[in-house]
Amino acid sequence: MQFELSQIDKVYVSSQENQVFGAKDVNIKIHEGDFMALVGPSGSGKTTILNLIAGLILPTKGSLKHGTEDITSMSLEERTKHRLDYMGFVFQDYQLLPILTAWENIEFPLQLRGFSKNEIKERVDWALAQVGLEKLGNRFPKQLSGGQQQRVSIARAIAGRPQLILADEPTANLDSKTAQEIIELFLKLNKDFKLTFIFSTHDQHLIDQIRTVHYIKDGHISESREHHV
Amino acid sequence: MRGFFYLVKFSYRNLFRAPKRTFIMILSLSLGCGFIIWDLNFAKSGSTEIMKDFLSQYAGQYHISNKHYYTEKNKKEFNIFKTMSDDDIEDKSLILKSTKRVNAPVFISGEKKTLGVLLTGIEVLKEKKLSSLYKVVTVGRFLDDKNEKEIVLGKSLAQKINIGIGEEVAIIGQAVDGSIANDLYKVVGLLDFGGGDLEDSLAFTQIHSAQELLSLPENKYHQRVSFDMETEELPVLKNLAVTHWSMLLPEIGVSMKFVDNFTWIVSIIIVVVVSLGLSNTLMITFFEREQEFTCLNIIGAKASWITWSLMVEVFIMGTIAVVLGAFLGFVATSYCNYQPINIELFTGGKPIIMGGMTLKPLVRIYSVSQYYWKVPLMIYFFLSLTMIYPLSRVIGRSKNAV
Repeated sequence: MQFELSQIDKVYVSSQENQVFGAKDVNIKIHEGDFMALVGPSGSGKTTILNLIAGLILPTKGSLKHGTEDITSMSLEERTKHRLDYMGFVFQDYQLLPILTAWENIEFPLQLRGFSKNEIKERVDWALAQVGLEKLGNRFPKQLSGGQQQRVSIARAIAGRPQLILADEPTANLDSKTAQEIIELFLKLNKDFKLTFIFSTHDQHLIDQIRTVHYIKDGHISESREHHV
Repeated sequence: MRGFFYLVKFSYRNLFRAPKRTFIMILSLSLGCGFIIWDLNFAKSGSTEIMKDFLSQYAGQYHISNKHYYTEKNKKEFNIFKTMSDDDIEDKSLILKSTKRVNAPVFISGEKKTLGVLLTGIEVLKEKKLSSLYKVVTVGRFLDDKNEKEIVLGKSLAQKINIGIGEEVAIIGQAVDGSIANDLYKVVGLLDFGGGDLEDSLAFTQIHSAQELLSLPENKYHQRVSFDMETEELPVLKNLAVTHWSMLLPEIGVSMKFVDNFTWIVSIIIVVVVSLGLSNTLMITFFEREQEFTCLNIIGAKASWITWSLMVEVFIMGTIAVVLGAFLGFVATSYCNYQPINIELFTGGKPIIMGGMTLKPLVRIYSVSQYYWKVPLMIYFFLSLTMIYPLSRVIGRSKNAV
């Protein structure tokens, strides 16, 4: 598995005179087991790059590949299916469905993928166990704390054993203690199951614990660092 | 199939997202549905009951007559020289279900005045069995089959010619052999049609007396009147004409049709108004969930899946509403069957006179089964239209948001 962004530009055009680069000459290779962060201030282009990798938006220029598959040549529906089959997502504000319990939230993408009843049960229980919420599966999101909701969100992302987990500011809404717990959980999942993570953050304390860090400025990777953690 | 059941389960759970709002939407739709069913039942059964009541007094459901008895263009005109007999009727069962009549336009003279009326000779016993004419006699008595040359006439006609019970009136007309027909008749009863025109223009006598007046043989008469109100399909007879009441009283037939159609138009307007309100509420509900739709799309739900889930959600809501609405409509209709509605409430207490007769004011409403599926179908149709705009906006916006 390898996700590769080569010479990617993403230009947002609001008028002929006003063109903004969301991403500019971005080159990133993501290998199995990578633990990578995109770091930069608000509006620097972190989310744009995550959206490009997910196939939520298409680049103005450059190539975006998953293995041999060209994501840019896929239709909207094909890209949705591609995300369902190969990616997991963790959001800053958790984005759990309020009408479903924690267990059912994790079940949702598995149902879309058409897994059998037994397989769904096995995967959901496994994911809940990984995030330490085995006993809270029947609770609705509003009955859970922010940290617990983010754990459910992570369980939803990992239950399908995706090749890549994308997380957009996953700790931004959490207190520092809970944020640290979430990062430790990411690191554990990365280590135990070789799950690949790429996420955006601007929390310096967290950055120190991440192996590969790309610093983003004006849509461009201004600097890349490898940490030994 | 499992995917479909999951979609239904997911959509069903979404109804509980904002329970109060869902409850209000279901309530408004079900009240609309229930009211329309009740309204249509009221219009249909009310008009049917009114017509049955009206027709059973005198006019009947259909007339069997000589093909040339009624004028082709105007069924109110008739030719007394065109008679028929039982031998002309192939289907003898029709004889059992109908009563013979002889009609004669005559002059009736009392003490002071002479007026033109329609004298109808009737089979007294059969008429009592089939029609409710005898119930309209409020002063004196109805005709006696064993007697002859008795007459019952309209109350206001009796007043105009200044005649009372037990007195005699002179009848003058033309017999079918061309001679002058005249005789004396004893007034035995007065008809009260509630003050309508018929009270001025109708008089009834025994059929034999009318036949004698018109010099008609005993086996000859003008028409057979059927009071079989349940039969809408008319019998087909080779040598005779069969004329439905709506042809004889076209103005009443048209007004009944108007009531039926107008009620449907009002019903459709109600559904459209309720649908527009629902469309607005659905749009607000969907827009509130826009971010969620985007999230669903990010984690792998296709736009078509999201669209279907919303459609199923509205469909489930609609189904609950129409089932509840049909139940409410049934309960309201059943109550108005148990407790009849006084239609004079709608006329400021004034009596309703139709075709020269005053209608009975109390109407019992009964359920007409076709409305229990036609109205829900109509609501589903408009509900589907209602969804188009909010869905297209939401799907369009959520794609743009991505």
